[in-house]
Amino acid sequence: MQERYLLRSLLDYLGLALVLAFLIALFGFTTEYFFSWTTFRTIANQIPDAVILATGMTLVLIIAGIDLSVGSVLALGGAVLGLALVRWQVPLPVAILLCLATGLLCGALNGALVVRWQLPAFIVTLGMLEAARGGAYLATGSKTQYIGMGIEWLNRGGVMGLSFPFVCAMLVVVAGQFILAYTPFGRSLYAVGGNEEAARLSGIPVGRVKIIVYTICGGLASLAAVFHCARLTAADPNAGIGYELQAIAAVVIGGTSLMGGRGKVVNTLFGVVIIAVLESGLVQIGAQEPVKRLVTGGIIVVAVIIDYYRGKL
Amino acid sequence: MKKICFLFAVVITLSLLTACGSREADSTPPASKAPEKPRIALVMKSLANEFFLTMEEGARGHQAAHADQYELFADGIKDELDVNRQIQLVEQMMDRRVNAIVIAPADSKALVQVCHRALDAGIVVINIDNKFDDAVLEERGIKIPFVGPDNRKGARLAGDYLMTKLQPGDPVAIVQGVPSAFNAIQRLEGFQDAIKAGLLNVVASQVGDWEMAKANRVMSAMITERPDIKAVLCANDSMALGAVAALRSAGKLEQVLVVGFDNISAAQELVRKGELLATVDQHADQLAVFGIEAALHLIQTGAAPEDRETPVDLVTAESLK
Repeated sequence: MQERYLLRSLLDYLGLALVLAFLIALFGFTTEYFFSWTTFRTIANQIPDAVILATGMTLVLIIAGIDLSVGSVLALGGAVLGLALVRWQVPLPVAILLCLATGLLCGALNGALVVRWQLPAFIVTLGMLEAARGGAYLATGSKTQYIGMGIEWLNRGGVMGLSFPFVCAMLVVVAGQFILAYTPFGRSLYAVGGNEEAARLSGIPVGRVKIIVYTICGGLASLAAVFHCARLTAADPNAGIGYELQAIAAVVIGGTSLMGGRGKVVNTLFGVVIIAVLESGLVQIGAQEPVKRLVTGGIIVVAVIIDYYRGKL
Repeated sequence: MKKICFLFAVVITLSLLTACGSREADSTPPASKAPEKPRIALVMKSLANEFFLTMEEGARGHQAAHADQYELFADGIKDELDVNRQIQLVEQMMDRRVNAIVIAPADSKALVQVCHRALDAGIVVINIDNKFDDAVLEERGIKIPFVGPDNRKGARLAGDYLMTKLQPGDPVAIVQGVPSAFNAIQRLEGFQDAIKAGLLNVVASQVGDWEMAKANRVMSAMITERPDIKAVLCANDSMALGAVAALRSAGKLEQVLVVGFDNISAAQELVRKGELLATVDQHADQLAVFGIEAALHLIQTGAAPEDRETPVDLVTAESLK
């Protein structure tokens, strides 16, 4: 049984790794400079916020929920960060804590509404998508709040040009995967997503698990906001529009089921990297915007089809 | 067995999907033939906006005519507000080892950082369309030359022409671009200059984010609130089209004069029909070309970077005849 499980997860990774290797080889042969360290470094330094958002989204999808508000919560967290640094002149660590608190609060609110009134997560988080965006516009006065060099150093390169945000994102992935695979809390997520009633009957505090997962997802969205702001050197109220869909796309490409009960954070990382490589490669090939969108959209649909049929194997 | 089939399915589908992309690779000549030719990147804003498509076509035409002098990589983002994506594009252009980047920044402050990195990497950076914020450039101690039209002057031209059709004290409305963008501020100031000179009364001034749908909603709201509005000044033509549509559905198009900015072809059509009073041509197709020429000049001579002003002209029903 154990061996079979191992084989199965190996095949999961292998499939995604093969797709990735194929894409890298394809772009490596068709363009001049794709297959180079600088390209990979650029990609690595571009993905931290996407990886962090998608990690939170993975947890939410595993419990058969959804969080459409992550992009807006990212903007709101960024707005609070910008406000704290520029208007209130607080030190950076305090501003980051305020930003994280904002995200955790939004996430907790999502979770509480979903659990307390048994509302569909789709509707609750759609409400949060609008509300948090409105909050971000209010906080910034609908203008990009320029922060400046004060926050830029966060984005500086460390070991081999890999940035601090990238390292953090990898730590988030490792922590996420560890919690899912080796803690009772992590395993209870699969139980809740697989069969909520059965989970309840077996003594899992379903409501509490759900609230915690939405809170984590909100908190990760605000962590992504910190790195997003460091990249832009500004708090942009329009930041993160559509990121919820990109995150869901990455998670789905990684094979996490939209129906809940199945999924891995490491596979989500593959999903994010595949999309990033695809985008970067298509730019280097010189593909035009419509082609890029067609291909990316196609890949997402194909991934869902595969996900659906793999569920039936 | 089934799993192996599934893996094959993934690989085959991916290769089919990417085949359409890789075919385009043929159209760009391999640089190995002439490695000494400068590689110039043109990074634009929303390609859904015809203004930038016109800019791109102009640049491609110029490149085709001067194919022996440089290579061109043109790209843009899918949405005017996606600042992060434009930063990624600049980074990807750096990865493509370009010698110069001609950029129409989506944000006049947030893009400075990545352009600074490009400068540090020895790449020539030319700023077009939307000027970088002077204070931010100064904070970093860098200089990025701006090659482009005086937006304030252009907006003033359209505003002054509108004034000749109105009486002092008439109520007018303004639809602004993205408020953080330098050219949006410039155009707003140009409109305000003309309004002040014509002694008009601004009763509403709302943000349309450069986009048609948003301007349409904003205009509908404004005309409901102030049905006596006599004219609307829109900071670009996409928003003017949105405003015209809103006025038409409110049955107010006869009564309200609309001016736009950019001279896109759909707006020209409306100017001919008399539904749009005027627009401003800042020669979009040439904007990128001016930038590219400035970049080539800097690469070849190594001269000190300097700002350059390009022409703006008023477009009315008479001038189109």
